[in-house]
Amino acid sequence: MATTMITTLDRSSRAAARGLSDISIRNLFIIPTILFLIVFNIFPLIYSLGYSFTDFRASTNAPANFVGLQNYRDLLNDPYVWSNFAITAKYVIVSVVGQLFVGFGVAMLLNRDIPFKGLITTLLLLPMMLSMAVVGLFWKLLYDPSWGVINYALGLGNFEWLADPKMALYAVALTDIWMWSPFVMLLSLAGLSAVPKHLYEAAAIDRAGPFYTFFRITLPLVAPILMIAVIFRTMEAFKTFDLAYILTSQPTAELISIRLYKMAFQEWQTGRSCAMAYIVLIMVLAITNIYVKYLNKVKER
Amino acid sequence: MAAVRTSSEITFNRIAIVIVLLVTIIFLAPIYWIASTAFKPRNLATTIPPTVVFQPEISPFVKLFTKRSQLRNPPTPEEYAAAPWWERVVFDGGEKIVRDGKGEVQWSGYPSRFLNSLIVAITSTVLAVGMGTFTAYGFSRFKVKGEADLLFFILSTRMLPPVVVAIPMFLMYRAAGLNDSHLGLIILYTAFNLSFSVWLMKGFIDEIPKEYEEAALVDGYTRMEAFFKIVLPEAATGIAATAVFCFITAWNEYAFALIMTNRRAQTAPPFIPSQVGSGLPDWTVIAAGTFLFLLPVAIFTFLLRNHLLRGMSFGAIRK
Amino acid sequence: MRKLVTSVLAGVGLALACGTSVHAQEKSLTIFWAEWDPANYLQELGNEYEKETGVKITVETTPWSDFQTKAFTEFNAHGDAYDLVVGDSQWLGAGSTGGHYVDLTDFFNKHNLKEVMAPATVKYYAEYPGNSGKYWAIPLEGDAVGWSYRKDWFEDPKEKEAFKAKYGYDLDVPKDFKALRDIAEFFYRPDQKKYGIAIYTDNSYDAMAMGFENALFSYGGELGDYSTYKVDGIVNSDKAVAALDAYKELYKFTPPGWAKSFFVEDNQAITENLAAMSMNYFAFFPSLINESSNPNAKNTGFFANPPGPNGDQFAALGGQGISIVSYSQKQDEAMKFLEWFIKDDTQKKWAALGGYTCSAAVLKSPEFQSATPYNKAFYETMFKVKDFWAVPEYAELLQQLNQRIYPYMIGGSGTAKETLDALAADWNATFKKYGRVK
Repeated sequence: MATTMITTLDRSSRAAARGLSDISIRNLFIIPTILFLIVFNIFPLIYSLGYSFTDFRASTNAPANFVGLQNYRDLLNDPYVWSNFAITAKYVIVSVVGQLFVGFGVAMLLNRDIPFKGLITTLLLLPMMLSMAVVGLFWKLLYDPSWGVINYALGLGNFEWLADPKMALYAVALTDIWMWSPFVMLLSLAGLSAVPKHLYEAAAIDRAGPFYTFFRITLPLVAPILMIAVIFRTMEAFKTFDLAYILTSQPTAELISIRLYKMAFQEWQTGRSCAMAYIVLIMVLAITNIYVKYLNKVKER
Repeated sequence: MAAVRTSSEITFNRIAIVIVLLVTIIFLAPIYWIASTAFKPRNLATTIPPTVVFQPEISPFVKLFTKRSQLRNPPTPEEYAAAPWWERVVFDGGEKIVRDGKGEVQWSGYPSRFLNSLIVAITSTVLAVGMGTFTAYGFSRFKVKGEADLLFFILSTRMLPPVVVAIPMFLMYRAAGLNDSHLGLIILYTAFNLSFSVWLMKGFIDEIPKEYEEAALVDGYTRMEAFFKIVLPEAATGIAATAVFCFITAWNEYAFALIMTNRRAQTAPPFIPSQVGSGLPDWTVIAAGTFLFLLPVAIFTFLLRNHLLRGMSFGAIRK
Repeated sequence: MRKLVTSVLAGVGLALACGTSVHAQEKSLTIFWAEWDPANYLQELGNEYEKETGVKITVETTPWSDFQTKAFTEFNAHGDAYDLVVGDSQWLGAGSTGGHYVDLTDFFNKHNLKEVMAPATVKYYAEYPGNSGKYWAIPLEGDAVGWSYRKDWFEDPKEKEAFKAKYGYDLDVPKDFKALRDIAEFFYRPDQKKYGIAIYTDNSYDAMAMGFENALFSYGGELGDYSTYKVDGIVNSDKAVAALDAYKELYKFTPPGWAKSFFVEDNQAITENLAAMSMNYFAFFPSLINESSNPNAKNTGFFANPPGPNGDQFAALGGQGISIVSYSQKQDEAMKFLEWFIKDDTQKKWAALGGYTCSAAVLKSPEFQSATPYNKAFYETMFKVKDFWAVPEYAELLQQLNQRIYPYMIGGSGTAKETLDALAADWNATFKKYGRVK
């Protein structure tokens, strides 16, 4: 981060007289974005905070009644909602760790003289360019025991990827890993290519083992950018909706977004789903806050 | 790489290449499968073992662009002979093209939704990257009170599951009449991408040496001129990388498009899976829709690939 | 601040709205429906209307999976994008009490539609609340859950012999639920990649509920009392428990991976030579008699949902009525279209195009019944159908049903009795919440 401030213009200089002052430029550059985000992110949230204390249903013209904390109480006492959170946590961990391993692993392998490196890297990015809904649709087909290619190619017979309640969540996570490992790979490659070569040479002269080199040189230097990848992937995994919604309807794979979607847009329990949204929001904020703190720590080192 | 290579290093390198190739094949297999299905005759789409060699067909694309319904009675030979080739292809598939009262061929929703996708994704990408660059510059070069908190706030706006924001957004849009409009989606996607864009661009701009601008300022440039003439060109690579990510997100967004739009402004992602509707899925048509929809974003990424790879490592290298 | 933002947004929105409504001058009506063949047939019927009157009919469609969401987001936004909507029978409560549908009671009585349309279709597609004499839709597309089967498998002499030896009666179209189960078991041969039966199991919306209803109603069970909202002792009665067990039993004989199946998968079970019998809505059968989409088209037969152990025979209702959206600017035009639509001639045309007419006279006509291999089974079914709750909170009831039944069906947790007791308690709580019971 740029910590030192740029020298401010001499007030009497020609340029300062001609152009806008630094303060106004700063405001001009920053304030519209903040305002925009407030209007389109914070404002709706205030709106929904109000509704979360009512029994409002957007599908009827009936007026909303104030019900106090009833919605929150009901939701936090609903065992199904807790299981949705547990499932989401499991999903986030499995899929982010998986992406980290695959993405970073491939990046490590690619970070050497390999023919067509640029082409291979670009091709590997193709999965993340697809729409999640379409990926879900095709992977459902690929996973099918009767007409799917995966079981045929791997000789798995009638293995039930999505119909087995225990397997379904992992199958969704696997698809997510396929789709988003390239993202982690791209960021890792960026980090890896920035590790100064002389550090490796020095390690080689010291006859340091590959493990030592990896854990003492590579990993610490790549860590900040890996953390960014983890932050973004965690946030996205937490939000996963379309992929899981299309792939499976197992209760053991019902992520929090799916529950929320059903509550809000199938059952039209608008007030209650606003309350639910708030519970989710607080959780995500807490998790990300921890991450960002940790990121800053990593960067300082 | 070190100048002297031991034999074990060379072996390891070879193994790495083999693994990389294997991984690439595994990652690309589903994409290849989608692309090849887009050119298959319908009856070969879901065969086990999968059909690899086949006569490519254009019929999935004809079907993708037209509205069709099941043929209840086969066409007479005269009708068949009189039909243009693209209609015959549909007849061969046991379907007919739906026509309106004036006999005009009914287009499927695909072309208009594809166009909507282009309008919405391009506009929102330009807005998000543009605003993001300004804001990132502001944060990078000037003292801002509570900078860390503001940046966290900006990031936090991306954390919300779309469904969380969708409910109040929906109510707000309903009040403002922004439902089912291009502008509504553009604003949504811009807001959505802005945080990502600010964070990424701040990383890039932080790494552009301040001395460049200082020199320009001394030469009599105003701050604005310095920004446009010195900083922007330096940040081009980062801008390109950010644009690719924003474009991919906006291009493929599904949940908001599903909830917020109906017909005027609906984008393609909710439409493509809809071909599953008529009792039996025509996978060739879904694949054709997916394949065409992948092209713009793949081309965009491919054109900017050098920026993307360099852009991603931009900051780090300068350290 | 808030006011300012809203007014700015409103201004922009207004500008856009004006921009888009300029070319809406010519006479036209937009009908909203799901993406499937009947919607195409309706477009063709609309073309006839355009020829006669010059009013252009456009049938807008959206995939089934988001049909409900799309329709209600538009209603809830008070949008006038659609003049008419062909809505699911369960929507009637929400559509009428929410003020989204125009009251068609006078229209209904004036044209004596109670007699013209098949009784079940009037009851479930048009009237809300039950027996109130208030009508909100015109029955448009009749539909119910029926069965398709592989005639060639059933008629194979070797199979017939083996079946008789094992079960002591002839292999034929199942006469009751027990035979359905036996045949499913008989053809269940995983080693040959042949399976007994394909049923609905998807719990993301109403698929599994419809499948379960097929068993429940034929077993003589009910979901509850639709007039008093009493559920305890009804949805968890002995009959209902036996029905749930029977439906779960069928799941044993389904192809592998049959845990999120709906109409697409069930039709594929026939085309891909997977199952001997397959449950599906009649409306999805046309693609099974089309040789281009079903290689087994010639060998596919159809039958109505069989009776249960006590001889009750019912089926779960699908299908839709057409309603006028109360936010439409062209309600008079829409009314004229409906007047045209209910004419006998139009209904005949509608049936000829492939629509499942609800007109009792057309349904009973021999032309209709012999038009396709499944029309007769459809006719038989349409006079004994029952439906899910149509109250505005039906989606919550559906979600609770899915939540309880799916883990039992697919995951095998608990017993049928426990499952349905819990469901009865859930439903009772929901009805309490909305003040329908004390």
